[in-house]
Amino acid sequence: MTRIDDKVRRVDALEKARGEAVYLCDMRLPGMIYARLVRSSVPRARIVDIKLPELPEGYSFFSAKDIPPEGQNSLLMIAKDWRCFADGDVRYVGETIGILTGPSRAVLKTLDESIEITYDEQEPVVSIDDSLALKGGPILGDDNIHCQLVSEKGGDIERVLEGAARIFEETVETGFQEHVHLETNAAICTLEDGHYTFYISAQCPFYVRKSVAGLLGLKPEDIVVKQTTTGGAFGGKEHFPDVLAGPLLVAESYLKVPICLVFDREEDMLYSVKRHPSKVTFRTGVDKDGRILGSDINVYYNVGAYLSSSYVVLQRGVFHANGVYNFPATRIHGYGMATNTFPSDAFRGFGAPQTLFAVEIHLDHIAHALGVDPVEYKRSYFLKQGDETVTQGHIVEKVVLEEMLSQVAQKSDYFRKAAEYKRGSGRGIGMSFYNHGGAFTGNGEQAIIKAHLRLVKDGGHYTILCGQTEMGQGFRTALRKIVCAVLGVDMDDVTYDNPDTSKVPDSGPTAASRSTMIVGRLAEKAALEMKEHLGEDHYEVETEYEHPDGHPWEQATFKGDAYLGYGWGAACVELEVDPVTNEVHVLGIWSSHDIGKAIDELIVHGQVNGGIIQSLGYASMEKMENKGGHFRQSSMSDYVVPTSMDFPRQEWGLVDNPYEWGPFGAKGMGELVFNGADAAYIDALERALDTEVHKIPMPVEDIEAVRRDG
Amino acid sequence: MIKFTLNGRQVSFEGNPLTRLIDVIREDLGLTGTKEGCGEGECGACSVLRNGHLVTSCIIPVGAVDGDEIVTIEGLRDTEQGRCIIESFAEGGAVQCGFCIPGMVMAAQALLLTNPDPSEEDVRLAISGNICRCTGYDLIVDSILLAARKGRGLW
Amino acid sequence: MVERCFVTKDLDEALRIRKETGAHPLAGGSDLMVQYKQGIGITPVFPWPVMVISGIEELKGIRKLDDGRIEIGALETPSAIAASDLVPWHVRQAASRMGAVALRNTATIGGNIGNASPKGDLPQPLILLDAVVVLRSADSVREVLLDDFIRGSKKTDLHEDELITAIRITEVPYSYAYYRKVGTRRANAISKLSISSLVLIEDGIIKDFRASSGAAGPKVIRSHEVEDLLKGHAVDEVPSLIPAITEGWDKAISPHAMPAYRRGTTARALEHFLSAVATLPPGPVIE
Repeated sequence: MTRIDDKVRRVDALEKARGEAVYLCDMRLPGMIYARLVRSSVPRARIVDIKLPELPEGYSFFSAKDIPPEGQNSLLMIAKDWRCFADGDVRYVGETIGILTGPSRAVLKTLDESIEITYDEQEPVVSIDDSLALKGGPILGDDNIHCQLVSEKGGDIERVLEGAARIFEETVETGFQEHVHLETNAAICTLEDGHYTFYISAQCPFYVRKSVAGLLGLKPEDIVVKQTTTGGAFGGKEHFPDVLAGPLLVAESYLKVPICLVFDREEDMLYSVKRHPSKVTFRTGVDKDGRILGSDINVYYNVGAYLSSSYVVLQRGVFHANGVYNFPATRIHGYGMATNTFPSDAFRGFGAPQTLFAVEIHLDHIAHALGVDPVEYKRSYFLKQGDETVTQGHIVEKVVLEEMLSQVAQKSDYFRKAAEYKRGSGRGIGMSFYNHGGAFTGNGEQAIIKAHLRLVKDGGHYTILCGQTEMGQGFRTALRKIVCAVLGVDMDDVTYDNPDTSKVPDSGPTAASRSTMIVGRLAEKAALEMKEHLGEDHYEVETEYEHPDGHPWEQATFKGDAYLGYGWGAACVELEVDPVTNEVHVLGIWSSHDIGKAIDELIVHGQVNGGIIQSLGYASMEKMENKGGHFRQSSMSDYVVPTSMDFPRQEWGLVDNPYEWGPFGAKGMGELVFNGADAAYIDALERALDTEVHKIPMPVEDIEAVRRDG
Repeated sequence: MIKFTLNGRQVSFEGNPLTRLIDVIREDLGLTGTKEGCGEGECGACSVLRNGHLVTSCIIPVGAVDGDEIVTIEGLRDTEQGRCIIESFAEGGAVQCGFCIPGMVMAAQALLLTNPDPSEEDVRLAISGNICRCTGYDLIVDSILLAARKGRGLW
Repeated sequence: MVERCFVTKDLDEALRIRKETGAHPLAGGSDLMVQYKQGIGITPVFPWPVMVISGIEELKGIRKLDDGRIEIGALETPSAIAASDLVPWHVRQAASRMGAVALRNTATIGGNIGNASPKGDLPQPLILLDAVVVLRSADSVREVLLDDFIRGSKKTDLHEDELITAIRITEVPYSYAYYRKVGTRRANAISKLSISSLVLIEDGIIKDFRASSGAAGPKVIRSHEVEDLLKGHAVDEVPSLIPAITEGWDKAISPHAMPAYRRGTTARALEHFLSAVATLPPGPVIE
């Protein structure tokens, strides 16, 4: 019998380590052929002509004109603007123009290379600044703004700033980040029992069917989606699998054989969604004692050519732009800018990391200018239970940031080191604080998702049915453990397989750090009810999401409690900068998180480690540049992510703070752990070099520009 | 014709000698435990042992392994050494998405073959060509150290 | 598209094939297989005939020749080179920092030289040491100074019927040695820049000073002119000569990308090394 605090072995560990887990690329279906996407090679152009080579027998090409009259050429991802196939014009490099299919991948590649597309090119819009300047004329409406919103609290910000003794103005920028899930995007479309059926590496099988059904004028439930073992996702397989699934479905509607599409790394790197680059401007007013009166913040995200899910990403960015702090007044204006780059989309943190990073280093800079320790300065603004949020809602839960700070400060010996290491000495220590709103924004869980989960008892065995996916984060283990711990049975007594949309209820996407908090709760409730029926041989229980009381939210005005609850974090980084080469040697990494309660400590340990390293990569080495609409980094040798040698062993801790509406008190944590180590790293770097940094990433060559010699 | 030993079995290949070893292993021989992560020898997901040394099978033409002994995860996983590493990975929480893990297991085996009692630094160096995007490596490192402890005498 | 491919384990046969077909040698494959890859499940396509030479035993081995020089067979891997006590220190340092374990077990010194990438790791210390490359054809053997053999980015003096068979290095005595590589990350990295240097002091006088920069121009940079600035001077004069040396070196290098970083770091590295030479007791390696 498994209890919630027991150490368990991940249920998928052995099959994965033995090489027996079947990822999409490992599947071979009888009669299977391959597909290759034909993509635009220019960022902004009218398509003048497409000349196809003669296709050998068994090879086909499908494009927008092959979408049946009852279908629509769009992929539904919150917004519906992303076209399955470019038609008439192209809006970014790598936009799908068509799909080639046939038995040989080598032949497909040769055919792809011999397709001649003539473009009438226009000047592309690449950066946020390009977009604001309407370079080459607007590409969207008359202002290039895909989406925007404002959140205000504490009165008229202009009047507040007028009363300030000093105003700190600053612009902070962050770059593209590529997910680099080790398994590239991949899908197979086939016909099974008369239904279009996908096998797909994806986070959200129900998203896939909803997104593509309209291409053929079908209903989502006409399409079956089976998630295959997914080799990492990080948001990169939240909506993006739709971009593979759409063309495959159109091809399948003609061919009726299994069609397999597996991106190679270059395709996955150049032609997939990325984290939104951002530009955040601050005007922060302080009184004569250096106390913050208010901050006027503008948040610009580079959305790319299509809106897809970016409005929600931007909302999250805006709602996190005050960090974990209570400023008396804020006005936060968010703008999602259209550009001719690959659409930006979900990536662990979903818009929060950019603004959290910006506000952290902005406060570091203010504290430095005021001559006070940044940690002392920041803690004096820590949000507390009952405080008003930037959306004029309230922090409902108890906030344990002070406990987390003290845990991290003690382990890292922060205060001694911060006082001892002279600015510019080459060695520095920095700390950051962050949070992450759990689950969907506002009342999304109630209004949009309405999650369901089913638990079935057959004899002594239990089966969990829901749409949540395992992508490496450990949810297959965590969810089984929750059910086991309630029922008092062993892990082996519970089955929970990769979801098949024809067999499981829709429990919503595996995203937004909602799986444990929301769906885990549904499982806990189902198991509690099941417990009353242990005597029965067969019993089924289906639970439905219920919105906890006391979280008012008005979607039209974005006012109220933006999130049901938050995970909270504190991270500390100590480092040394090589005076000759600017190489940064990280000496220590410490963190503390409030995730409510850990369902499984080992899984949490792995998530903390991985999230923090991803964040440190984001701050330091992960540089993805776009020149003229083309990404310059196309491989894992030029877009580098951390190796085992780049960062030292981490020390980590948790502060228990059970969450009333989560299973066993658990909240979300997958994204939280990404949200702050970047700022601690840059804080430490600035202190080591006695300089100010206003952007990430900061590889050695960019440190060159900010180091102060002599 | 190219002949080599794969997991102790003699294999012959008659196609283009420039065919990538990984394609022979995965496509022709159907051994899909070896994964392709990058196709350019950078990520280590396709790691196999060649005459006991760690190599990435995505950048080696099959013509170059004529006469060599190749071991993939399928050849290692049921040996005493392989079981020890794999069990330790499961116990130590080394596995998340799992795509890098077969290659990581091969890297651990290559290390332990030459250094059965590695330090943490030795382990970090030995897996520095195996990219993991999930774990941040600490638990993988710990799991390999655990394997070395539990399997003392096996290597 | 040419799809001819030869596999041979015999050097004479390889030289014959090379002469008759012009087939390009493919040793480890770590450069060429990547450069000409086509994607998952597709065999790389090369623009010329290829000859897989990785099994030629005659091209392996690290040995001391009768004339005292160290010979490294063209097919030796960075792993073997890094582990060999015969190989000079600078070369071992560079070999041990190439890529990661698997790459070091696959790449070859002959390939690294023949590919002549400005970012290649091994040519830089080899050029520091005035290493020569042994080139054989079916009819001839010649030795060429590596610095002359590599003519620019991806350009060498390899004749159409020749193969690189070995590298020969004369042991260069030194009192102080320096090697730094800055990669894209701490391990498994492509070089952003690398630099080697050495100083030999006899009776308080600088007898030899050399430096070489990798990834700082189309090929490895050495400047005998700048090296001469230090030779013959007393050790205590070194500090006053550092500015002239770093300035001269800055003129010699021509980094294409990230010039400010590459120039700044190269200057600081030379200054760091020479300051140590001037102030520290002889101890061979300067970190």
